[in-house]
Amino acid sequence: MVRGDRPMLRGDPRRGRAGLWCDIREAPALVTFVGVLVEWGILGAIAHRGVAATMEATLSYACFLLLVGFGQMLVIALGNGNIDLSIPAVMSLSAIVGVAAMGAGSTTDILIGLLVSVGVGICVGLVNAGSILLLRVPPLIVTLAVGLVADALALVRTSSGEYASVPPGFVSAVSIRFLGIGVLTWVCLGLSPILGVIVHRTVFGRSVSAIGQNRSAAWFAGVREGRTIVVAYLISGVLAALSGVCLAAYAGLSLDLGTPYLLTSIAAVILGGSLITGGRSTVIGVWAGALFLGLALALLEVANTGVPGQYIGEGVLIFAVLGLSRANQLLIQRRRSHG
Amino acid sequence: MSGDMPRIWMAFAAAICVWSIAVGFEGRVASYVGTELTFSTILPLGAAAMSEMFIIVIGDIDISIGFFIGLANAVAARFLVPDPLWGALLLVALVAAYMLMGVLIQVLTMPALLGTLAASFIWEGIGLALYPMPGGTAPQWLLSLYNSQPPFVPFPIIALAVLAVPTTWYIRRTRQGALLRGFGSDPRATATFGISALKMRLIAYGLAGVFGVIGGLAVTAISNSASPTSSAPLTLLAIAAAIVGGSEFSGGFAVPVGAILGAIAVSLATTVLTFVNVPSNYQDAVVGLILLGALTLRMLVRRVER
Repeated sequence: MVRGDRPMLRGDPRRGRAGLWCDIREAPALVTFVGVLVEWGILGAIAHRGVAATMEATLSYACFLLLVGFGQMLVIALGNGNIDLSIPAVMSLSAIVGVAAMGAGSTTDILIGLLVSVGVGICVGLVNAGSILLLRVPPLIVTLAVGLVADALALVRTSSGEYASVPPGFVSAVSIRFLGIGVLTWVCLGLSPILGVIVHRTVFGRSVSAIGQNRSAAWFAGVREGRTIVVAYLISGVLAALSGVCLAAYAGLSLDLGTPYLLTSIAAVILGGSLITGGRSTVIGVWAGALFLGLALALLEVANTGVPGQYIGEGVLIFAVLGLSRANQLLIQRRRSHG
Repeated sequence: MSGDMPRIWMAFAAAICVWSIAVGFEGRVASYVGTELTFSTILPLGAAAMSEMFIIVIGDIDISIGFFIGLANAVAARFLVPDPLWGALLLVALVAAYMLMGVLIQVLTMPALLGTLAASFIWEGIGLALYPMPGGTAPQWLLSLYNSQPPFVPFPIIALAVLAVPTTWYIRRTRQGALLRGFGSDPRATATFGISALKMRLIAYGLAGVFGVIGGLAVTAISNSASPTSSAPLTLLAIAAAIVGGSEFSGGFAVPVGAILGAIAVSLATTVLTFVNVPSNYQDAVVGLILLGALTLRMLVRRVER
């Protein structure tokens, strides 16, 4: 709204090198991490399962949110109203198409299925970015409409009313554990530093931030906007597709597989301290956000509020999260203006 | 663009086109009773489109209107019959809740889409808490108003006109209407004149809430019951109706007559879809494509004009 309240570049010359993950002095996700610890403690105390087992259970489903959260983070960082609302539809469609392509379920079949679902993600990402660039329509409307069309395609694919069963080979592959931690959590752990480098050290990552902070300044600086937007939506599409197809192995195939991830993917990013207006993103923040939401949902389930209570809780949570994020932003500004 | 007339003509052309197709499929659509039947279902969408128009004019997008109408429907069907005063107060409280949503969007500087998305969960949750299963009844006065048969012109047409005329006067002839449009096309310009953005959002979201409640009453009259989730598709339909009716996502444009004509066009288009046996599951996707199509067409027209 107000141009002046754009955040400064992470590579602010006054503070030397840009932080790789986040600057600990700003600690955008600190509040959220404290919230995670509190929730973890409460849940561990109520559920009588032990602290480690609670976190392990949370991680086993938070990793799906983490994967889509990373993609959403890149898109939101573009600013200018960029939010990917097609994520839930991509998850469902890629899961349905990918599992169908796995057929009998031999190792090659499973790999082909994974490739097919990644292909779905690439297609949707390209359509999103292409429509945004060519039609000059608000990204929200484009991703909303593209999501609806993808939903319809998923519906056509399952018009017989029967879902293909997920091959057991794929299910066991997704539930492999090393050192007591699930393979998908390892994937997220491995992906995080890579994404950190991409966001903070590559031309692409810096371009995303530059566009998010000030589009016209980025243009004058020679940032290739079109290419950057395409890559951001591609990454978001591919991660959503992977998350979707793996979620099918974890929770079974269904048309509304991705539905809960519409709001939570945005919330995880914002909770982590990335700015909804774009231009600032933190990878470690997405971890904080995803864990916070995962534990919050588990708490709501333990509290047994029923569906209406869950909906109201989620809605109120978003407003609360954005309130905190806004307060944090104002605090940072004040600290900066005082030197 | 100086006048709204080109926008109204575009929406009028769209409405007439779709109406002709509908009449081509089913001649009885054009009769008094047929008009009454087809247009009565348009009434909630007309109110929803009007509500959406007041949000789009200030450059925001509201994706909670469908669930809000569902909630107003639930409140009306639950509380208006046993205690009219209490019911009316609750409906006013709903408008206040809509204004609060606008305030939060302004104060937390969040995109309107995200704020309304979060609010839609709250509307849906409260609606489901009131009516997990469809139920409730409409008050008698609402039903008799709705079923009245005025001579020559069916009631729904009169009701749609009643929605469009005062809003047109408000948007075109009052200071507040001009300020809303001005705020929508350039918030910084109105800020220079000392107009508070918070006040503009309060007015816009308040009016949107009023038309949302009107939409909820219309749904209650049509179904004579409450079903909070069945109004959800109205969100997308309302956005499409407002855009077909001449609104711009960038803000600054509000054409009430266009929005009503857009609602007629979009609603009849979904009726035609059922004539050609497109399953209702695909309705959302088709409306999404209509929306993208309208926007693409407008962009092409603008490019040719230049």
